[in-house]
Amino acid sequence: MTEPQDTGTKLAEGSDGLSESVGARAGLGALRILAAVAVPLLAFIVLWVTFEWLRDADANRGVIVLVAVLVGVVGVFTLYWAMDYMVNRLPASVRESIRPWVFVGPALVILAIFLAYPAINTIYLSFLDARSQEFVGLENYGFVFTDDGMLRAIRNTLGWIIIVPSISVAIGLGFAVLVDKLRRGEAVAKSIIFLPMAVSFVGASIVWSFIYDFKIFGSQTGLLNGAWTAFGNEPVAWLSQEPFNNLLLMVIMVWLQTGFAMVILSAAIKSVPEDIIEAARIDGASEFQVFWRVVMPSIASTLVVVMTTMVITVLKVFDIVWVLTNGETGTEVIAERMIRWFFRNSHNGRGAAIAVVLFLAIIPVMAINVRRFRAEEQIR
Amino acid sequence: MKRMKWLALLAVFAMVVAACGDDDDGAATGDFAGEAISIFGAFETVEADAANAVISSGFNADTGAEAFYEGSGSFEEQIKIRVEGGNPPDIALYPQPGSVVEQAELGNAIALEDLGFDIGELEDTFGSYLVSLGEHDGKHYGIPTNVNSKSLVWYNKPVFEAEGYDTPGTLTEWTDLADQMLSDGYTPFCIGTGSDAATGWPATDWMEDIMLRTAGGDVYDQWVAHEIPFNDPAVLRAGEIFESIWGAEGYVLGGPETIPDIDFRDSPDPMVADPPGCLMHRQASFIISFFPEGTTAGTDVDIFPFPDIDDGVKGSLGGGELGAVFNDTPAVRAFIEWFISADTQCTMGSQEGVQRISPNVGVGSDCYADPIIGNISGSITDALKAGGMRFDASDLMPSSVGSGSFWTGMNEWMRGADMASVFQDIEDSWPTDG
Amino acid sequence: MSAVATGTVAAPPGFFRRLWDRWPVKVAIIVIVILWLIPTVGLLVNSFRVKSITEAEGWWTVFSKPFEFSQWTFDHYSSVLNARGFGNAFLNSLAVSIPATVIPITMAAFAAYAFSWMDFKGRHILFVVVVGLLVVPLQMALIPLLKLYTSGEFFGIATPFPHPLNGTYMAVWLAHTGFGLPLAVYLLRNYIGSLPSSIIESARIDGATHFQIFVRLILPLSVPALASFAIFQFLWVWNDFLVALVFLGGTPDVKVLTQALADLNGAYGQFEHVLPAAAFITMALPLVVFFSLQRYFVRGLTAGSVKG
Repeated sequence: MTEPQDTGTKLAEGSDGLSESVGARAGLGALRILAAVAVPLLAFIVLWVTFEWLRDADANRGVIVLVAVLVGVVGVFTLYWAMDYMVNRLPASVRESIRPWVFVGPALVILAIFLAYPAINTIYLSFLDARSQEFVGLENYGFVFTDDGMLRAIRNTLGWIIIVPSISVAIGLGFAVLVDKLRRGEAVAKSIIFLPMAVSFVGASIVWSFIYDFKIFGSQTGLLNGAWTAFGNEPVAWLSQEPFNNLLLMVIMVWLQTGFAMVILSAAIKSVPEDIIEAARIDGASEFQVFWRVVMPSIASTLVVVMTTMVITVLKVFDIVWVLTNGETGTEVIAERMIRWFFRNSHNGRGAAIAVVLFLAIIPVMAINVRRFRAEEQIR
Repeated sequence: MKRMKWLALLAVFAMVVAACGDDDDGAATGDFAGEAISIFGAFETVEADAANAVISSGFNADTGAEAFYEGSGSFEEQIKIRVEGGNPPDIALYPQPGSVVEQAELGNAIALEDLGFDIGELEDTFGSYLVSLGEHDGKHYGIPTNVNSKSLVWYNKPVFEAEGYDTPGTLTEWTDLADQMLSDGYTPFCIGTGSDAATGWPATDWMEDIMLRTAGGDVYDQWVAHEIPFNDPAVLRAGEIFESIWGAEGYVLGGPETIPDIDFRDSPDPMVADPPGCLMHRQASFIISFFPEGTTAGTDVDIFPFPDIDDGVKGSLGGGELGAVFNDTPAVRAFIEWFISADTQCTMGSQEGVQRISPNVGVGSDCYADPIIGNISGSITDALKAGGMRFDASDLMPSSVGSGSFWTGMNEWMRGADMASVFQDIEDSWPTDG
Repeated sequence: MSAVATGTVAAPPGFFRRLWDRWPVKVAIIVIVILWLIPTVGLLVNSFRVKSITEAEGWWTVFSKPFEFSQWTFDHYSSVLNARGFGNAFLNSLAVSIPATVIPITMAAFAAYAFSWMDFKGRHILFVVVVGLLVVPLQMALIPLLKLYTSGEFFGIATPFPHPLNGTYMAVWLAHTGFGLPLAVYLLRNYIGSLPSSIIESARIDGATHFQIFVRLILPLSVPALASFAIFQFLWVWNDFLVALVFLGGTPDVKVLTQALADLNGAYGQFEHVLPAAAFITMALPLVVFFSLQRYFVRGLTAGSVKG
């Protein structure tokens, strides 16, 4: 990775090379162009050949996996390096205006293909019928905003995006702050909060069945009913109790997602410069004041990021509801309706229209973010 | 997902009766060295392993092809993604015949006629009803690959013997028996329709069994095709009969409103407990897998067929799957030919742990490793031959009804909603364009 | 605690203050930890219990009779570990997860740097669009992307996109990269953008190129942010079932761990009792990753204070 430095020197030579003979310059220029083309091309060819080999390889599984990992990991860095190498060989006048695109370009291309294209495709489908064959105008949107189930889903989703992120972020932040003060056991304590994130989805639904299970016969296997019947009550099918069941489902999401808030916020808290905190303490600020006046402002932007991410994650949540209540007994959420209409009922138009509602729902969240960036850039 | 539902189907149907099987010697012919054939379906684990064992020692060994069956618990989503994403398997085994017809309408599936099959011959092999399920525009698109029977009632055999109960042959005898049980201090029924995202399907099976025995096969077909409304008086009558069972005071363990909260997999447990919590449970044969360890079918529990209701109206409810073909190659043709032959199907049934029943009527009940399955297969074959077999209605209806409002409607009904309004809601949810 | 300790050394009532600081903190932490552990403990207990007991009794009853050895069993773990193709599936999961973690992080770090410290037209709008793409549900992306992979078509129009790509590792890496990028760019831009401008400017004055600044300064300074995103991306990819099934397939040679474990459940769901053990086995590697990346959070602290 020392290449860029060499390039820098070469470029410096090039810029005061007026005294050089025209022929030498032409030769150097040709060489440069050749290198600019050959080096990335070579890198590309090597990658492609390995890739083709991977596709058809009949070799030992372990070898294939090793090569795959190497290609995936080394390949992407080589790509950037090669592109930067190429840009350095461009005329100085355009070099710096092209370079940013080398940095953001690959990400933008991937995003355009893998997310923007499907999003546009979804919007397009939302104006077509169940099988995506005929144009139906706004019919699907009419359904989205009149169907009882959809209206309940919109109401419930609002509840989800208000309740889950605020509780998760509050607990995650509180925990990150507290655990920061521990002398020992920080890693262990954090991993326990993080643990649910590592539970796969299958795991999560089993985990919570051991809490919410309802049995009509024999002893209870769900903790909640175990405790409830221990006091002499009749067992209750918790997940069918409207509207309380929505909260029970949200608890699962909080349990799963708090680890995310905690890890990100903990990293932010740790990067608050210690000297600022020390200075505040020396000025006689209490721990509480230090937190509100020093720590909070420094992690404010991270808080917005975590909050935004959580809101979007919650908007997209469907599997918890899908498996535990099937969206019945008043527990519909938007994403669950989307999956239901698109996949189970095979109505592409309605499914897509519901997805578009999700897209629209983040506009206010993004507006808050835009204001935040503007403010931030001005301070800097 | 809907997996459990189809599982249910899987287990007991037994449809096929056809009589063919005479022209096949079971050996595949042709040389398809290295040619891959992908078969995609919903059944997994033991059944999938058995299928692959038979395929690799049979077709693959004979022809050099590389046919492979892939099962997925999320078949319904996956097949939609693969077909619409341009990556369909060569053959997909759909638990819902309606989906096969949909693929035909969309022009994705290839007609059996175009694959060189003789429909008359297929009808001899599978019975005409099964073959007709995959019909669209005069052509046929579905190859029956599996059937099961759902019209079974399990009961606690020791208690029946000790109390001298007779297995009922008619609805009246059945309710009389239930009343007798009540007065003897037992709870007659265990019903649980909980099934994660498919909650409600066991209740739809009840409805269908009752429909078949009251309205009969023809009205049943009209109901499925929406030629009569979902809340037609004939359906409402079936609903009333069903409600007179689950809604009757003391009939169901836990009471009606908990039915959707009890997982169908756990629901028969009380029947084999000591003392038993209930004595009867209506479910397909696959439920054997969920009885507590140590329960022996034939000793601890046994089955009787779902009792008749109206005089002279007979029927048998089943499920199964239809294979749709997406790629026409000589290897695929040869594979299907080989796969549906009586010999292959018999070998399949003889695999350990297999509960699938062949739709090929030439497959005898002695083919099955499990004698209970063999038994059921015999009665299914008879039903198919008599033409009284009907496919699970909820798998034939459009999915927004059959695996949507029909299921959820049953749950709301048991949780206290009024029958007329539930059935009206289901009627209203019927897609207008389908 | 060290921060608090140094801060309070000079204060006369240090002892009481420290006591006051410490106990409520510890109690609060312990309470939260216990709440978070309860569900997992249920899972853990049942992963070691005999099926018939799990079905008949609540998992908490185990605490009243922990030494009744007949209730314990390792069978669930051994049936998961001996599941056919388990080793292969584990390798496949690694081959999918490692590049699918590294690629998006690398791309996102470059992009985040550009969004923070390079000047180009429309960078605000672009950034907002990138973050907004977070909301696209991946389920809606599967069909158009599979179509692109199989036929190279966008909106039904043929393009030179290399196809068929489905069934290759590359297909899954790219898909996971696409789905993971918005969050990665968002998180890293937040972190990289908050680094003091002085260090970047002084490096510029010293004649360093952007590439050099990125590799020599930004990457080392961003280790905590990179590590935390790496953890999450690895987790998502490791636990992913759907993306791998759609783009890689479900045949034994390419099956990933989540698929192999899902198959265990069985057609009728009759093997549900091994799932707790399966869940713990899948969790093991992500937890190892989490622990091993822990130290980078601390190093981030020092890096941060040095530059401050």
